[in-house]
Amino acid sequence: MSVKEELFKRLKEAVVNGDPEEVSKIAKKVVEVGIDPLEAVEKALVVGVLELGDKWVKGEAFIADVVAAADAMKVGLSILKNEIVKRGRSIKYLGRIVIGTVEGDIHDIGKSIVATLWEASGFEVIDLGVDVPPKRFVEAVKQYKPDVVGMSALLTTSMLKQRETIEAIKQAGLRDKVKIVIGGAPTTEEWAKEIGADGWAPDAFSAVQLIKRLFGIEG
Amino acid sequence: MARPRIEVLSRDEVEEIHLRSLNILNRVGVRIEHEEVLNMLRDIGAEVDLNKKIVRIPEHIVREALKRTPPIVRLYHRDGKNYVELYGWSTYFVVGSAAYYYIDWRTGEIRRPMTRDLADVAKLADALPNTHIMSTALVPADIPEIVADRWRMYVVLKRCSKPIDTGAFTIEGVPDAAKLMKAVVGEENVSRKPFMIFAICSSPPLKWSSLTVQNLMDCAKYGIPVHIIPMPQTGGTAPATLAGAVLQANAEFLSGVVIAQFTKPGTPIVYSGSPTVFDQRFATSCTGYIEVGLMSAAFSHLAKFYGVPSASYTMVSDAKTFDQQATLEPAFGALISVLSGINMAIGSGMMLEENGISLLKLVIDDDIAGSALRFAKGIQIDVETLADWLIEEVGPGGLFLKYRHTREWWRKEHFIPKLLDKKTTDTWKKSGSKTLDTVAREFIEKVLKEHSVEPLPPDIEKSLDNAMLEILKKHKVEKVPEI
Repeated sequence: MSVKEELFKRLKEAVVNGDPEEVSKIAKKVVEVGIDPLEAVEKALVVGVLELGDKWVKGEAFIADVVAAADAMKVGLSILKNEIVKRGRSIKYLGRIVIGTVEGDIHDIGKSIVATLWEASGFEVIDLGVDVPPKRFVEAVKQYKPDVVGMSALLTTSMLKQRETIEAIKQAGLRDKVKIVIGGAPTTEEWAKEIGADGWAPDAFSAVQLIKRLFGIEG
Repeated sequence: MARPRIEVLSRDEVEEIHLRSLNILNRVGVRIEHEEVLNMLRDIGAEVDLNKKIVRIPEHIVREALKRTPPIVRLYHRDGKNYVELYGWSTYFVVGSAAYYYIDWRTGEIRRPMTRDLADVAKLADALPNTHIMSTALVPADIPEIVADRWRMYVVLKRCSKPIDTGAFTIEGVPDAAKLMKAVVGEENVSRKPFMIFAICSSPPLKWSSLTVQNLMDCAKYGIPVHIIPMPQTGGTAPATLAGAVLQANAEFLSGVVIAQFTKPGTPIVYSGSPTVFDQRFATSCTGYIEVGLMSAAFSHLAKFYGVPSASYTMVSDAKTFDQQATLEPAFGALISVLSGINMAIGSGMMLEENGISLLKLVIDDDIAGSALRFAKGIQIDVETLADWLIEEVGPGGLFLKYRHTREWWRKEHFIPKLLDKKTTDTWKKSGSKTLDTVAREFIEKVLKEHSVEPLPPDIEKSLDNAMLEILKKHKVEKVPEI
């Protein structure tokens, strides 16, 4: 095994184990030895997190393991990114997604889990957090130019904000630039249709399938 | 008579959880998304970071708040005469609240509920002897969301005479509820004879949403009872360890007590909880895990330590259809509730991660509740029940059937379930070999057809209708479904 292969293997394992210290150590080593950082991302970091996301879908891993792996991956990314930029290259994701819990709702966990699972499916996810007003979603669409916007709502009242947010995106003339998906306990497929969303997922598992379907990826 | 009891914590452990909770409130604090409350807490000596909306609450404030909390909470029936008293080791069973789905008892279909479904739940709960507190069980889909919280109260009030566990999804929710209550029992009795109790849920970890806090303050101002519901998910929004989850929940409960008692001293508060196990395999919040029982029993113990009534969501099943799981999970829950002295055992009829109500489950939960309540009474020991004179009289080889003692006591000693089968195999076969769900379905049909709910007096009904009409007008809701 070459030094590169050896490092990639260890890097992937560290991601799978959710070990940020180890990931950080190896990522720094990758930079130090001058190995292609983009390759390290694609062949080690992403592979590791995809493996765990896949395992969770199959019922072979715990969600806490996936979250730890995604966090470990991000630690590696933050180290390797600079080096990639320096070399004038960029990371290729399957797509870019902006996600947030809508205004008036401070439920975090469902949204965060979906964000992590999407990351663990190969997407770049920008998490706007909770209690996100419609205009912040609009700004984010302008700023990040995502392929998809995801909105979570856990309350029957805040659910109405999903409609408002879609209206706001429409009014800003950005509706045809993004696909919009929604989720959260009180939401239904009918509700998604009614407010003109492009997709709905009742749970985290379906959210993974939904996003793959939207991007035409086999899942 | 030794009353059957379980205690999952020792006195020292309760004390330790209490002291560590005080420490968390003092060192970490809670995040409260409500400026008025932040200012109020700063004024009474808490350390407030207005930017981060974090309040660190010193110990003496918590102790003072606890002193202001009444030990007994009474929930009246809407007639203002009957009531349940939440205190000591008595357990009352409560229908699960605010489900977004209805599991149709005729077809088994999971669908959005309509107003008439909520009316059915109310009528059935009115008739069930071991289901003591009704709730605004469903969120009907045939009324605009913006008034759905108050519409539910109105529908239930019309179709059920029992106390109501409810909650608000809107800022106007509590003040409008007070208007509905006033229409029924008169202004002076909104706080003296409250027939509604409001669910107030913190957002774990250690966080309060602006809407919840507003609802809590409004309830305090009107003197309407609340149950404060920390909802730790083990390994999700709380530590994976049961002790850690209970500790965090306890700190959240105490912070709620502070908000309420410094808004208005004497606010009636129930120490409630909806602990769940966050299943790492499916990312689901599960209510039927046996650990939920352990955490609920711990909450009850802490509530008794503080001298306030207790509640917990112990009756909810994770089953997706009415099967064995839907009955065995609440059976554990009911028994744990009565044995640990939980005053409100919440969740009768509820399934699907607290998202669905099933009438089939509701009627069987009533038998489960009856069984558990009987168990909690224990074995009565005295001259009459020991009956040694009778044993002597009957003698070896005799029969007890013909004795007056038998006729008198058999009925008294046993809880006779309505639905569980006790017939001979042959009789069971001859009467159609019915499984429990069929028996339950027939029972529901019969009750819905035959039971009549004590109607509200005409003048009160009229003033209630007017109060609801005003609320609907305010929100420009013109068309309402039939009840």
